[in-house]
Amino acid sequence: MTLALFYIAGAIALAATGIALTRVNAIHALIYLVVSLLAVAFIFFLLGAPFAAVLEIVIYAGAIMVLFVFVIMMLNLGNRGTVVEQEMMNPSVWIIPSLLCLILLIELSLSIASLKSETNPIVVSAKEIGISLFGPYVLAVEIASMLLLAGLVAANHIGRRLSKMDQEKDEG
Amino acid sequence: MNPLIIPLSHVLMLAALLFTAGLLGLLIRRNVIFILMSLEVMLNAAALAFVGASAHWGQTDGQIILLLILTIAAAEVAVGLGLVLQIQRRFKTLDLDVVSRMRG
Amino acid sequence: MTGTDFLALSPIIALAVGASVLLLQIAFLRNLKLTTGITVVTFLACLFFLFYITKLNHQTTPLLLVDPLSTFFSIVFVLCACITTFISYEYLKNRPGRNDEFFLLVVLATMGSIVLTYATHLASFILGLELMGIALYGLIAYPHQDDMSLEAAIKYLVLSGASSAALLFGFALLYAITGSLFFPDLLSGLASPEVAVGPQSPFWARQLILLGSALILAGISFKLSLAPFHMWTPDVYEGSPAPITGFLATISKGAVFAATLRLYVIGEFHNFPTIVTGLTILSIISILVGNLLALRQENIKRLLAYSSIAHFGYLLIALIAAGTLTPNGISAIEPSAYYLAGYIFTTLIATGLIAAISSSNNEENANLSDIAGLFWKNPLLALCLSVSLLSLAGIPLTAGFIGKLYIFQMGVEAGAWLLLSILIIGSGIGIYYYLRLIFSMTTDPSSSRSTLAPALPVTVSLITLTILVLYLGIYPQPLMEYLLWNT
Repeated sequence: MTLALFYIAGAIALAATGIALTRVNAIHALIYLVVSLLAVAFIFFLLGAPFAAVLEIVIYAGAIMVLFVFVIMMLNLGNRGTVVEQEMMNPSVWIIPSLLCLILLIELSLSIASLKSETNPIVVSAKEIGISLFGPYVLAVEIASMLLLAGLVAANHIGRRLSKMDQEKDEG
Repeated sequence: MNPLIIPLSHVLMLAALLFTAGLLGLLIRRNVIFILMSLEVMLNAAALAFVGASAHWGQTDGQIILLLILTIAAAEVAVGLGLVLQIQRRFKTLDLDVVSRMRG
Repeated sequence: MTGTDFLALSPIIALAVGASVLLLQIAFLRNLKLTTGITVVTFLACLFFLFYITKLNHQTTPLLLVDPLSTFFSIVFVLCACITTFISYEYLKNRPGRNDEFFLLVVLATMGSIVLTYATHLASFILGLELMGIALYGLIAYPHQDDMSLEAAIKYLVLSGASSAALLFGFALLYAITGSLFFPDLLSGLASPEVAVGPQSPFWARQLILLGSALILAGISFKLSLAPFHMWTPDVYEGSPAPITGFLATISKGAVFAATLRLYVIGEFHNFPTIVTGLTILSIISILVGNLLALRQENIKRLLAYSSIAHFGYLLIALIAAGTLTPNGISAIEPSAYYLAGYIFTTLIATGLIAAISSSNNEENANLSDIAGLFWKNPLLALCLSVSLLSLAGIPLTAGFIGKLYIFQMGVEAGAWLLLSILIIGSGIGIYYYLRLIFSMTTDPSSSRSTLAPALPVTVSLITLTILVLYLGIYPQPLMEYLLWNT
């Protein structure tokens, strides 16, 4: 049973990734990428790593993908406003991602329902991860904070608009 | 080691397929946003392999690497998208071949 | 955490404190002189702690191992970072825009290089690598009004990110076999995969190890820009601001090599014939491609990029020959550490000088014509550049010569005749294009523009580096003995 769920989720992940990377429209691609990440998160859940699954959804499918959406919106690529909105209402855009998500949802309900009946792998709880994160890996946490600082400073500097003076110099 | 219902080899195979998909995307696509997405897919595949292996060994280590990969991916994407904004402003395109002007 | 732990970490803590102070200072008061001052003080404090712990050999949590060899490498990197700071101040002081964050990123990148050098665990290895990488993306794209630097940054980001992903995936495969991320355990498990996965599937395990090692090798070759993974190097070096070209060619590459060296020795990879064959092929292609493509370059940054590809090809010979000399491969350490130190000091002189020329008129001047007549404009700095180029070419009395001799001798002892002949051919070609640079400095002074007079700290640091290169070339025993004692 778990094995069958794994294969279906894996197939969804692969298919969604494949579709995502062959889209022309970046927003459509992102929808498929989110589906793919949800499928991978579900696989984490099956592997007995619920905490990793939650992180995958919150950070990857949530934060990082939203970052992409923001940038695509800021760039205002291609057709604007209402045209995009109309396009998104077109069933061909959302029907497949919704279907894939529906399958994942059914899978998730099935696996939760069977949580007690089948011998599940040893589940690594968030507590255990926390203990080793602040035990042997405490330096990794510290260095990761420096890494995020570097990312913050670099992204802030690079993303900044040029000052008025520079722009005038460029245009003139 | 703990007997998994899902064989480790199948998880690694799936991770390898996802990694290959990302690599292909990286090589074929020319739009910078899609290249960054492919990069995310590759990193995510590596994370999947780590979580699979860590479940196989019943350890937390692999999941901690997942956390670090999330951190790295977030920082990398933030800088990458900053570059995307600047590239769009400067070159009025996101095509890497157009941006690429130096020879070699 | 014990007191010794904190002592071992003190250089990294010094840099972290420096970075935090810089962050606060930039938030409240933008002043380039003050920022530079704090950066220099940070690096000096870090150097002080590094010199204090030269004899320390201590495992700090599973993540970092502080030992004399890595401390030696760290001293070289921090020294170079300090000199890069002087050069960067000169480079940035007359440029418009906000230039303060530059130094914060330099401190963070240097911290990444030290973490990478001390890493004994996948977590610290990848974090060090990425800390350095992400700070460098910011630094390469720093003058983002410049098209070339944007192009260089996006190329570096994509390729460096892809190679990190390949490295991670390779390590994930090895982790699946051995069940440990701590390098000594991870790598010792590779020698006997049957123990880990059980006797029923040793063939499968071997294939996985092979695939994993190949991915790791490819990832590291990208970072070290070994041919055929070198395509990005000339473009990124050309597009980066000149001080960062120096950082990329010296500290960034040096730290990756130091970490690779440690990985190679801990894992006893010289016992894996496939890996040694792979390294041999990489070495031969790198030496030939690097030297042959350097011949046609008119841009000095591109020329140095190709020259660095060739130099890391030479360095690989030490790794390849190590296995046949001593069973544990430890003989690779001494020559490669010497060669690396010599290469780093030498290259920093050349890139520093390009930065000085580029600073004098706020442009990126790195063409052969820009150094024309340098002997008349500034004889002292021209002399420094000549020494640097002679050292890169491997002319006697310089650090480059002793390093190459060292590696040559190792090759002879190991009987690696093919590699040695390639090394000789490569060095022969190298002499031509390095001398071509020196001759172009002596050409007609009338064609040259203004005189070149960089600030005192830049001149002093370039001269110090030159003296260091000459000292290592004339009197190499102290460093050799130091390295021998500490390995």
